[in-house]
Amino acid sequence: MAGTVIGEGLTIEGDISGDEEIVIHGNLRGRLTTSDAVTVGGTAVVGADITGASLSVAGQVTGDVTASERVDIQAGGKLVGDIKAARFTIADGASFKGNVDMEL
Amino acid sequence: MAESSVIGAGTIVSGHVRGDGSLEILGRVEGDVNVTGNVVIGASGRVRGSVSGAELTIAGHVQGDLRGTLAVLLESGARVAGDISSPRVGIAPGALARGHVQTDGEPAAVARPASAAARPAAAVARPDALRDLRRAAPAPAAPARLAPVAPARVAPARPNPPIQPSVAKVPARAETRAETRPEPRKPDAAKPAVAPPPAAAPPEPEFVPVRPLKVEPRRPPPPVVPVLGKGVKAKKKKSHD
Repeated sequence: MAGTVIGEGLTIEGDISGDEEIVIHGNLRGRLTTSDAVTVGGTAVVGADITGASLSVAGQVTGDVTASERVDIQAGGKLVGDIKAARFTIADGASFKGNVDMEL
Repeated sequence: MAESSVIGAGTIVSGHVRGDGSLEILGRVEGDVNVTGNVVIGASGRVRGSVSGAELTIAGHVQGDLRGTLAVLLESGARVAGDISSPRVGIAPGALARGHVQTDGEPAAVARPASAAARPAAAVARPDALRDLRRAAPAPAAPARLAPVAPARVAPARPNPPIQPSVAKVPARAETRAETRPEPRKPDAAKPAVAPPPAAAPPEPEFVPVRPLKVEPRRPPPPVVPVLGKGVKAKKKKSHD
């Protein structure tokens, strides 16, 4: 079970930090920092720099991403920003714009 | 939409949280929370900021105002420093609250209105109370309303001579009139008691009974403060000296 879930319809303006999994279906503007996985659902709109162990994007993300393990952009997902991650995948049908740094 | 959200125990949110749906806070929120659904703040939850939602259930700590459109329930272990306002407020034993509590909205939702929302309760109670009063002491109010009966009851109580003569001795009227000058006044005093109820009855039946009682105190109130001539105090002082 995910530690934190931002449901659809919910908006957070500010910083989120923690040490557990975070799932976002709603809106987030600010910054997101966790030591665990981050999942951005299909309905989510995120305008935030994201730092986490891993990131899975099915919705929209605008911001720089730093992941200690991996970043996956799912089909239908959209990511605009620079990515720093050891592993990085872009599914067919996903959109992405930004720099990639896989030198971790 | 109505999807529920959770802020986990290991998560800190510094900023505002708002939107639809319900929210469970097990971690920390430093900022205002404003949702349309229910809010549950678990025992590990810490909020520094105002929280508003439909039904707030608090078991953690909140430093800020709580506003529940339906209810605010503080469970055992809750600590709230801030104002609480909701139609229903519940504070369980073991919960700490510091601040202003207001139970607004529907009056008889909880038994608490007696203290917090005293007015609605009193408004409801008033008609009955006054009915009882009238039953107990019918002399001033009730007879005044029942016009034909009134003179019979009122008269013996106050000026004995005026009415009996007026009924029995017709020729003596001149005298009685002179004496009964106060008597016509009494009907006058009673009439307003009779008149206002029908006038006021249609809009606010609750306040009708209040009028007859208010009529009595309308007479010049007894002076509360003894009237002292100018300089009396000074004289007294001087006399003491």
